[in-house]
Amino acid sequence: MATTHSTNSQNNRLASGGLLIDRSQTLNFFFANKHFQGFAGDSIASALAASGQWLISRSFKYHRPRGVLTMAGQDANSLVQLPSDPNVLADKTALVQGMNVDGQNYSGSLEKDLGRHIEKVGGFMPVGFYYKAFYKPKGAWEKWAPLIRKKAGLGVLDENFKPGYYDKAYRFYDLVVVGAGPAGMTAAIQAAEQGAKVLLVDENPVLGGSLSYDRIDAQGSNAQALRLAMIADIEAHENIEVKLDALCNGYFADNWLPIIQGARMYKVRAKELIMAVGSLEQQAVFHNNDLPGVMMSSAIARLIRLYGVRPGKRAVVVTGNDHGYAVALEMLDAGIEVAAIAELRDAPIQSDIVQELASRGVAIYNNHAVYAAKASSDKKHLAGVELRKQIGRGKCADSGEFIDCDLLCMAIGYTPTYQLVCQAGGQLSYDDETALFTLQKLPKALQIAGSVNGNWSTDAVCGDGYRSAVLACNRLAQDNDHISAIAEPAPLADDSAASPNYSWPIFPHPKGKEFVDFDEDLQIADIVNATRDGYEHIQLVKRYSTCGMGPSQGRHSALATARIVAEATGRSVAQTGVTTARPPFAPERLGHLAGRSFYPERFTSMHQRHLDAGAQMMQAGAWYRPAYYGTTNQRDACINAEVDNVRNNVGLVDVSTLGGIEIRGPDAAELMNRIYTFGFLKQPIGRARYALMTNEAGVVIDDGVSCRFHDQLFYVTATTGGVDRVYQSMLKWNAQWCLDVDIANVTSAWCAVNIAGPKAREVLQKVCSDVDLSSEAFPYMGVREGHVGGVEARLIRVGFVGELGFEIHVPQHCGEALWDALIEAGVEQGIKPFGIEAQRVLRLEKGHIIIGQDTDAMSTPQEVQMGWAVSTKKPFFVGQRVIKELNSLGQLRALVGFVVDDLNAPIPLESHLIIEDDQMTGRITSCNYSPTLGKPVGMAYVQLHKAEAGSEIAIRSTGGVMVNAKVVALPFYDPQTQRQAL
Amino acid sequence: MSEFVNTTPQSSLRRSMLCRVQETLGAQFAEHQGAIVVRHFNSQLDEERAQLKSLAIIDLSTLPRSGFKGREAPQWLTDKGVNIPETPNQAVKQDDGSIVARLSMQEHLILSDLAISASLPAKLEQSWSMQSDVACYSLPRNDSHAWLYLTGSEVRAMLSKVCGIDLRDNEFANLSIAQTSIARINGILIRDDLVINGSDESSSAIPAFHLLCDSSSVAFVWESMCDAMNEFDGKPVGFAALLNEQ
Repeated sequence: MATTHSTNSQNNRLASGGLLIDRSQTLNFFFANKHFQGFAGDSIASALAASGQWLISRSFKYHRPRGVLTMAGQDANSLVQLPSDPNVLADKTALVQGMNVDGQNYSGSLEKDLGRHIEKVGGFMPVGFYYKAFYKPKGAWEKWAPLIRKKAGLGVLDENFKPGYYDKAYRFYDLVVVGAGPAGMTAAIQAAEQGAKVLLVDENPVLGGSLSYDRIDAQGSNAQALRLAMIADIEAHENIEVKLDALCNGYFADNWLPIIQGARMYKVRAKELIMAVGSLEQQAVFHNNDLPGVMMSSAIARLIRLYGVRPGKRAVVVTGNDHGYAVALEMLDAGIEVAAIAELRDAPIQSDIVQELASRGVAIYNNHAVYAAKASSDKKHLAGVELRKQIGRGKCADSGEFIDCDLLCMAIGYTPTYQLVCQAGGQLSYDDETALFTLQKLPKALQIAGSVNGNWSTDAVCGDGYRSAVLACNRLAQDNDHISAIAEPAPLADDSAASPNYSWPIFPHPKGKEFVDFDEDLQIADIVNATRDGYEHIQLVKRYSTCGMGPSQGRHSALATARIVAEATGRSVAQTGVTTARPPFAPERLGHLAGRSFYPERFTSMHQRHLDAGAQMMQAGAWYRPAYYGTTNQRDACINAEVDNVRNNVGLVDVSTLGGIEIRGPDAAELMNRIYTFGFLKQPIGRARYALMTNEAGVVIDDGVSCRFHDQLFYVTATTGGVDRVYQSMLKWNAQWCLDVDIANVTSAWCAVNIAGPKAREVLQKVCSDVDLSSEAFPYMGVREGHVGGVEARLIRVGFVGELGFEIHVPQHCGEALWDALIEAGVEQGIKPFGIEAQRVLRLEKGHIIIGQDTDAMSTPQEVQMGWAVSTKKPFFVGQRVIKELNSLGQLRALVGFVVDDLNAPIPLESHLIIEDDQMTGRITSCNYSPTLGKPVGMAYVQLHKAEAGSEIAIRSTGGVMVNAKVVALPFYDPQTQRQAL
Repeated sequence: MSEFVNTTPQSSLRRSMLCRVQETLGAQFAEHQGAIVVRHFNSQLDEERAQLKSLAIIDLSTLPRSGFKGREAPQWLTDKGVNIPETPNQAVKQDDGSIVARLSMQEHLILSDLAISASLPAKLEQSWSMQSDVACYSLPRNDSHAWLYLTGSEVRAMLSKVCGIDLRDNEFANLSIAQTSIARINGILIRDDLVINGSDESSSAIPAFHLLCDSSSVAFVWESMCDAMNEFDGKPVGFAALLNEQ
């Protein structure tokens, strides 16, 4: 980026003051390619203001110049672009050395934005124009859409953005106080005194809230003294934890608060909650009220007190409250000329502050409004205002007085910061007499205190904080011994007379440009026209006009909008209300929501041995399993060699991920008998049985091997992915059956290997001396207990891969020792590990199904040729009744084996379709090249008339190539099961 | 203080599922009362003792533990002279230093004393038999769960990043139990403050928690804990420093 290296001096920096800045640390940065300087502690906006850079951004619709409005992050005027971060709030983001900042939403340059000319055709773009204009004639939208989408949105995404490290943390407190202004600080101190553990949260970098910038007395010293005294109390109290620069960004049920601080979101639970969140200042609505130089009174106070920045040289104040006078005094003390005060009321209420100002000779124009603001010759800053006498509500005299000024201070009133409170269930009401919104119907364990509760004088605000803390602590004391209860204070005196809200600071202008919502350039006419188009409800006005839908979410426009809609629809403001405030309160990053993501992983105890042997690992759920051993470019060759070694020699596979459940007790056999489809009451001790599980709908949901080690002990395996469901299902059923059993999921307690192949016994007997492994003593489907390699073990003779095989289950922490012992023992026999891919081929050759792969959510035992595993004699098992019904209705499909004899044809893949007469009649569930048979073999669901061996089926394979296959009887390999019975 | 004999994990049939990652962190393994443990990561014992007080993680997975579950398990344990907690989610420290944690009305977890001198888990397992008619069933806790010990003044702050339980001192008293999600893994968290003996015969307790999690997930949990500890300069510590404090 080309940059101009002329340093813009901080010529608006006051000689002293600036609570947040450190004048000893100068920071250099760039804005719109120009070099600037600021101080540590500055926000981007304050540093720019210090050097007289008032133009910060361009407005969304008309590209109007925009500058500081709230200095509190409550408006879209201050949205700027950082290299990796669009839409950054310049008035809330701390300045950093070397920062490169740019404006947003301009064509050419920020200063000479070509997009500004669009305002000239603004008359053709009334509210809702894009709903009406771009859909005719047919096909028009396709042409308009790219243009509109290019204009929509603010800022530029950095496509090379690298996500940062975000995380979350849980916190629990007796009391959380949101807002560390005078009410919040008072509440925190009082609650801590009563013994409560308190979290005091504030989005600002220092404690104090309005006390850090407001003037509450004529001399301007009391606020700072009060603030420092309170801070001393807070810092001295061990019961108070303070989080600054921390944003409470929402409210959720039972006082659950997401509090964002830095790169962390705290998930905070509060027994009691006090919202001392203050108020949001609102703008006056008049012609050109959006010019840079027109600011909220609180923004001016913040610039002066927090940053030591002079916001202008010659100011006019438009006010309907005493705050305007206090800020006028602040400006005078900062060396700013105050040319006039436009007092909206008939006259100010006399106070020390008003009298002090009067004594300084400032002209006060009672019952006067700012009718219009005038832009400077370059259109980028305020040059003066026209004051006119009010002649009615929102009406001004035909002429007035023009006053030159570069700063207009607006002090016309506030809305309570109602967003969080309304999210909690509070209801907003409007009092026409005081022109104030009030919050009512608060939920249990939540209170509001301070100005959000309609208190304005410092005494009332602090008194409200004290009151809320006592009420909260007295409730907490009922269940918490460490908190004491005290007498509740008397109700506060009504402070509504001090209401800062002027009832109607809205002044239409024949030329419009009296902005209600700065975010999307919405003017009075836009709001009125929305109601005239039939969208009278405030929620519809919002959606039709987009008022309140921009980045500031209506924070500075809610009150004016409600008033204008009320007048346009003939209702009261109370009846009109405001739109719903939903979380988040302010924009938050996806990183904060995601936090530090946890993706659990599970490893078998032999994991390192797989890596040592060059395994390519694959994930099955959370488990890591060896897919095959060897390089990826030799994948098929490796798998074929592993298959060949098992068929002809001996292989070793890690099957630790198999589920394991122990069922013990007098009713163990009865539970097995009810859960699984086979008969288990008479299963002999020392024998294993295939166990098929169906659900209430008769659908096959899991399978395993049931091993009976004792009259009252069954050890049953389950599929890797299904064991948790099987275990939960057993617990659920037995909660009804109340059988006298104990059910334990011991999956992680045991690891297991399967040593398989014609030489398996030869290898195993080298390391297993206390079990007779002979075929006679330990036949197929036998189970034994003994030691392998010195490790206590459960041995099961199984034949999943269709060869002589022993599953050896040992305690988890001994798995690596078992693996080592078997590998070492099998060196002479050429033992080699084989992975999951080879095991899949081996079992397919043997015609064994995999639940979940060869079954689906409709598969019945009969369909998958497992009718033999379903007892017809026992009185009950889960799914029995439905299976009987389905069997009586007749079968519709069958899982069959098939072979592809054309070795040049592409190998069908899982889920490829079977086509007959251009109709889909089935699908492939498994298919692999069989190194043993020398051709592809697979399983598929077919219609019954194709289930007979010898039937021809047509498979639509990859790229639409049709592959002919022949249905054959299962299994493909060793149909007499001689191999596994060796 | 017990003797350590330096060795390697491979010298034993039972190996912690963390031994590989511990090797990469410079662990010196040793045999202690039949268990292979990490003796230390840092040969400066005083530094590891100091780490225990700030934030440390220790792998106790090779230490004995057992579990008993069933309708008659409470009575069976009581008959064996075991002092069991009255309510679930509470633990009781036995006179010999073993811990008995009641996970539900009918389920108990027994953790060895750190010196492995009392052998309570093994004694109970040996006296249990499948042959008896008592509705009390032994559980394979030695292998179903890995066992980590987290100590130090920052341990609560660290745990708050991975666990949603209120572990504050006054809300989660010593020997309380939480069975909860920790870094999205089911875990059993038992508060067991570590008593540090001072040079002047005084003693002080620092917050500490036993964490038992699925043994197949312990590598993931270890990584998650170490990640959470980084912020507080937490580190793995060997068994020697821990035993030195007993």
